[in-house]
Amino acid sequence: MKFLSKRFEFSGIEEAQEYYFSEGLTDGLPVVIPTESNVADMLAAVELLPGDLIADEKVRGKRFVAETIAINAVMAGCKPEYMPIVIAAVKAISASSFNFHANSTSTNGVGILAVVSGKISEAVEMNSGTVLFGHGNRANATIGRALGLIKINAYGSRPHEMDKSTLGHPGKYTFCFAENEDVSPWEPLRVEKGFSETSSTVTAFAASGPLQVTTSNYREPEEIFTIIGDAAKALGPGGTEMVVVLSPEILQHIARSNWTKYDAQEFIFRQSGRSGGDWNSTYRTEALFPDDRTNERIHVVKDAESITILAGGGIAGPFASVIGCWGGVSSVTKEI
Amino acid sequence: MDVKNPKVLALDPRDPGKLSSTTNIAGCPESLEGLVVGLLSNNKPNSELLLRNVAEMLKQRHGVSEIIESNKGTHRVPAPETILTSLISSCDVVVTATAE
Repeated sequence: MKFLSKRFEFSGIEEAQEYYFSEGLTDGLPVVIPTESNVADMLAAVELLPGDLIADEKVRGKRFVAETIAINAVMAGCKPEYMPIVIAAVKAISASSFNFHANSTSTNGVGILAVVSGKISEAVEMNSGTVLFGHGNRANATIGRALGLIKINAYGSRPHEMDKSTLGHPGKYTFCFAENEDVSPWEPLRVEKGFSETSSTVTAFAASGPLQVTTSNYREPEEIFTIIGDAAKALGPGGTEMVVVLSPEILQHIARSNWTKYDAQEFIFRQSGRSGGDWNSTYRTEALFPDDRTNERIHVVKDAESITILAGGGIAGPFASVIGCWGGVSSVTKEI
Repeated sequence: MDVKNPKVLALDPRDPGKLSSTTNIAGCPESLEGLVVGLLSNNKPNSELLLRNVAEMLKQRHGVSEIIESNKGTHRVPAPETILTSLISSCDVVVTATAE
């Protein structure tokens, strides 16, 4: 197999590791050293050749080829069977509506959140339960990490150089999970996005860190979504999208009602609104909401449909998560 | 890196370069004397103020002949093609800025 990338020669693995660290090719953690053999295995899993074009990102003129994606997936610790998900996610982040250049360089330091919907998540043993956002599952950890390494190495948004996040968040290392449609009374994400029930998809969000919200002993949908909508106000006014993750315990209460997903989206949207004058009093947003907008109701996202509601997490615990997204961009869903 | 009897041969994870990138970087003029300079604001608070101050310095210190102002309306997305086309056709160089 003829590879396009430059080759390095090392006397041993330790020397290779230190070189990758010193050249800024890692995310700060050790990587699996990409050799022709393990990269070839990645490409074989998706029947691609090294130079096959996967995606064309127009703003910086970056063309992601299969080899580069495979190299970074190896480095992340991916198994070859994860490659279809990584490939689809790269297509998602390259779409113009995702606006990767802006959100990967902004001081408003977001990371790539990748949510997988469909049977492939079971096939590769992804986690949709306890410790949903955290460590402990190879697929979740390494698929998300591959995207972070692709951002650094293939796209060139290196920390401290192009990536000028003021704070960033740990999801820049990895932020990937599978939705748990078995505990949800509503349609799964892939169907909501217009794909078939039998398909598998990955949706990429330009996501801030998750804000954990406890709904405590409340059981009625209005009570639960009032708490969540109030928490969402912390995102500030005038954003575009956000993600809300509901745990199985919360969804048990919702399932006993006749609330649809849209009812929940719409309630959270309305609850997240304040008058322009009210926002000005705490956010100093006078430039955004001058006198003629002080009585206008402004929400944290553009409309109810911009709130993606997902099911996931452990079976015990009345916890939800509110995840803001970088303003002015859209999440993108691709079939795997 | 040349190693005698290398035990590990590894691949570079970065963009392979010429084979991948489709963007060329424009060259810089040697002098700004007599040139037309465009200012492209991203509409963040104070970016126009910053650019106008820069423009004054360019006129006084580097003999720029004319300043053309433009504002793309938001920092969130690239400038629309119409603005870029207009700036390219009317300016020799363009200065852009972000500010708060």
